[in-house]
Amino acid sequence: MTRRGRRGATQRQWARGARVVVAIVCIAGTAGAWAGCGVTGQAGGVAGPEVPGDQATIRAPVEPARDVPALGRAAIDTMSFPPLEFEPPEPERFTLSNGIEVYYMEDRSLPLVNLFALFRGGAAYFDREDLAAATGVSSSLLLTGGTRSYSPEAVDSIIEYHALGPSFTAAGGSTLAAMETLTRHLDLALDLWVEMLLHPRFDPDRVENWRLRELDLVRRAQDQPGTVAVRTFNRVMFGDHPIGWELEPADLTPEMLTEDRLRRIHRAVFCADNLTLGVVGDISRAEAAAKLEAAFGQTPACEAPLVRPAPPVIRDEAGVVVIHKAVNQSSVVMGQRGGILQRDDPEYFAAQVANWILGGSGLSSRLSTRVRTQEGLAYSAGTVWGAGIHHERAFGALTHTRADATIAAARVIREVLEEARREPPTEEEVGLAIDNTVNAFVFAFQDPARIVMRQMSYRVAGLPADWLQRYVAGIQRVTPQAVHDVVRRHIRPEDWTIVIVGDTTKLDAPPQTLGPLIER
Amino acid sequence: MIRQAHASVGRSTTPGRLQALQAACALLAACSAAVLPRPASAQDGPDLPVIEHVLPNGMRFLVLRREGAPTVAFVTQYRVGAVQERPGETGIAHLLEHMLFKGTTTIGTRDHAAELALFPRIDAVQDSIRALRAQRAAAADTTAQRAADGRGDTSCGPAPAASPASEDPRIERLTARLEALEDSARAFVVANEFDRILTRNGARGLNATTTYEATTYYVELPANRARLWFALEADRLRNPVLREFYTERDVVAEERRMRVESDPGGRLWECFLATAFQVHPYGRPVVGTMEDIQNFTRRQAEEYFRRYYGPNNAVVAVVGDVQPDSIVAWAERYLGTIPRGEDARRVDVREPEQRGERRVTVTFDAEPQLLMGWHVPEPDHPDYPALEVLAHMLTGGNTSRLHRRLILEERAASAVSASLQPGGLDPQLFVIGAAPAGSGTVADLERLIDEEIARLQAEPPTDSELERIRNQLEAGEVRRLRSNLGLAFQLAGSASAYDGDWRATFRYTQRLLAVEAADVQRVARTYFRPENRTVAILVSTKERAGEEAQ
Repeated sequence: MTRRGRRGATQRQWARGARVVVAIVCIAGTAGAWAGCGVTGQAGGVAGPEVPGDQATIRAPVEPARDVPALGRAAIDTMSFPPLEFEPPEPERFTLSNGIEVYYMEDRSLPLVNLFALFRGGAAYFDREDLAAATGVSSSLLLTGGTRSYSPEAVDSIIEYHALGPSFTAAGGSTLAAMETLTRHLDLALDLWVEMLLHPRFDPDRVENWRLRELDLVRRAQDQPGTVAVRTFNRVMFGDHPIGWELEPADLTPEMLTEDRLRRIHRAVFCADNLTLGVVGDISRAEAAAKLEAAFGQTPACEAPLVRPAPPVIRDEAGVVVIHKAVNQSSVVMGQRGGILQRDDPEYFAAQVANWILGGSGLSSRLSTRVRTQEGLAYSAGTVWGAGIHHERAFGALTHTRADATIAAARVIREVLEEARREPPTEEEVGLAIDNTVNAFVFAFQDPARIVMRQMSYRVAGLPADWLQRYVAGIQRVTPQAVHDVVRRHIRPEDWTIVIVGDTTKLDAPPQTLGPLIER
Repeated sequence: MIRQAHASVGRSTTPGRLQALQAACALLAACSAAVLPRPASAQDGPDLPVIEHVLPNGMRFLVLRREGAPTVAFVTQYRVGAVQERPGETGIAHLLEHMLFKGTTTIGTRDHAAELALFPRIDAVQDSIRALRAQRAAAADTTAQRAADGRGDTSCGPAPAASPASEDPRIERLTARLEALEDSARAFVVANEFDRILTRNGARGLNATTTYEATTYYVELPANRARLWFALEADRLRNPVLREFYTERDVVAEERRMRVESDPGGRLWECFLATAFQVHPYGRPVVGTMEDIQNFTRRQAEEYFRRYYGPNNAVVAVVGDVQPDSIVAWAERYLGTIPRGEDARRVDVREPEQRGERRVTVTFDAEPQLLMGWHVPEPDHPDYPALEVLAHMLTGGNTSRLHRRLILEERAASAVSASLQPGGLDPQLFVIGAAPAGSGTVADLERLIDEEIARLQAEPPTDSELERIRNQLEAGEVRRLRSNLGLAFQLAGSASAYDGDWRATFRYTQRLLAVEAADVQRVARTYFRPENRTVAILVSTKERAGEEAQ
């Protein structure tokens, strides 16, 4: 390749010529004049060196014609927008005869009805030996295991023939069941849904099917380095606490999934005192109230209140876990105990803004800017500052980087957090977090189903009904000093637990240079 | 608990993972929305009051006012993607997609003249690196051969080492020089300012995606800030600056490592497509080969932009609580005078008929997986709707044939999915993916799938099977209208693929509804022939080691 020198020279001319030519030739800025600049893009793929000298940027900049508005940074900085006229809608609320609370919103835009049932309770409220049963009951077995009146095959057929959209989501401390249906199938959908929720069959064949599939998923979780890293971090940090639990083959023996066990867990969770209902869609309030009363008015009371698990004892010392996996990119999770509770408290909001600035806001965050944009070390880099309502959770940073940059990337992440300890953030950074929160507030009301689910979840979690409003107000009060204080008080990179999953033979430095190795 | 959170901008679509396929095709409507074939029937679907407006330069706007919270979704689709890439520059469409978040002559910079002055020096160093690599490759007589026949790296061996271990010391010096120069230019950069302007204004979901035939940029904004989108878009189309180019190339290399090289499903998918498509660009990865990614020059990305990002190749769908009159007026003012570019043409490469079964294995430190694919026609073809119905019949839901047989009855698999892949315009593959479970092996799954296909060939599907699918299609027609962003994607995708016809995607549903049992049986007989099949198997390294020991 002998064109190197020539190409370099051409490029310099290209750049030098740019401003001159643009100023002279392209001043008119109309389409016709643009063609005169030789950058119509219709040259059929003319390669770099042959391109005329007026292409310093990809398309030569044009002076705005009289009808083209001003562009660029200055124009955007001076742009103003009309105020947003918007009354945030809130769901209505009513109570069934047995005390179950229902959140309701009408939405006639489409002939669909969404039903939600949020239960307090899930695997986190039971012992480790109940983990498989509680996970199965909360996620899949009510959907696939048949009901009192319908065999599993009949349930499958009803769902698929009528295009119903049932789902179950287990979140450890709570269980969300949902059913979406065309309005015309509402009665059928509601009947089937109540059967599933309150009268499950736990068909032994389907339970065994679930067990075998879960066993396979447990094995396949090892295939993804990122999954292994996150799970390992949680296990190391939270030890033998539900937050650190993941299903393992030992949990998934047939003895752990006996009918007695499944029924005991089902009775403890799927009862009236744990339940909050939601209805959204193409249905009137009166109709919703009548149908839900008929469907859930007889839901039995809970035999005993669920006992919240003890707060976790979170690991609080430096250490490094290294797991070998023969891949050319390492997954790195590093962090510490979070020290923050989710509540209407200046420190909580300061921690939220701190996390947003450090690594919670995507590309704009410090971590992403440094690790991705500036160093080119990773496609993704971010942080999470967890905060529970009843106990603290963990602060963690996560990235994926090539094997021979692993230790360097971990050091860069630590450095970014050290910097945050040394200096407060700028007004601009805090302002960005606040502006985003305030301006994006409207998105919280885009989808009626989400509005209803949010209120249901606040109730089940014990948060005030106006938590979203309090949240936005709390974020608006955060100052750079408050962010600096919360970071200094809680973030201690020298004490971090670091998990690396990757090719240990290719690391750029010994992992113990990051901290003492933890024996596993 | 920590959850994995990936920074969002710049995703390429590599639909290799079984879970991803399952999620995407949980409802037939979801699959068809992604495919967008040309319609035949006259029925126009829902009566959406879409305002169509084409600017003098050919940029097409589709504006749909919807009641609800005051937000608006913008989806811009260019009808260019990886298929337009030339050999030796796979991944350039995707890299350019990343680069268009880097700002303009005034956004993202403190002193554009100063950074611009450094670009030629930076690019010259890259040219030297390329030249040296080419020399070495020619000497080794491997890379050059692969580049010459237009295939790029489609090796299905283990992923390459993190960085080429035996780089020439001259290349290492030049690479260090490249980094140092880019750092000098970075002194003038305001990092991620484009992103930050949108973020400050409450933007949500800012992102972009590159596929074989389209590149799509999207964001949602509070409705009162709609004009900001026009100001930013006009600036980045008129005055884009591909700053921090060589660092971003490294970011994309990491993206490739994450999605393909460290992901067993991603790796298998890439090998599968490379084996099935030996001529058509569907055989090349959208994200690009590592070799090409590491050799890109800024000039290549600029050229791709100049050539294909003319406004005449773009469709913009705007859906939300906005005044269509304002949107059209802003479109005219901000974007109307950008000059046209070359019209993007569809590639005219046809994959030759496959005349014998192809098999490929990938060895990976992971559990086994299976992919089977049969060549089928393009979405315009009359057989296509029947193939899509067939896919649903096989794996759409618990009552589907393969789900019932492989997972519930035989307990041989933990997942199975069927779909038409990987593009939307040219002849596709009918793909069945499955993950063996329990004592089941990949060979068992292959046998069971073959048996089910033979059964379909022998006897047509039942009425109740077809009725179930039609009911789901009809419900899907309602569900697909739920979100502004989702609807904007469908409108832009349909108009982009079908000469401005946003209704094409809705009319296609009518074609699906018209599929009869005999059609399904006929296409099963026509295309599911052994010689038309490609099979890719992921073999666990443990298993492989065991075999070798025996």
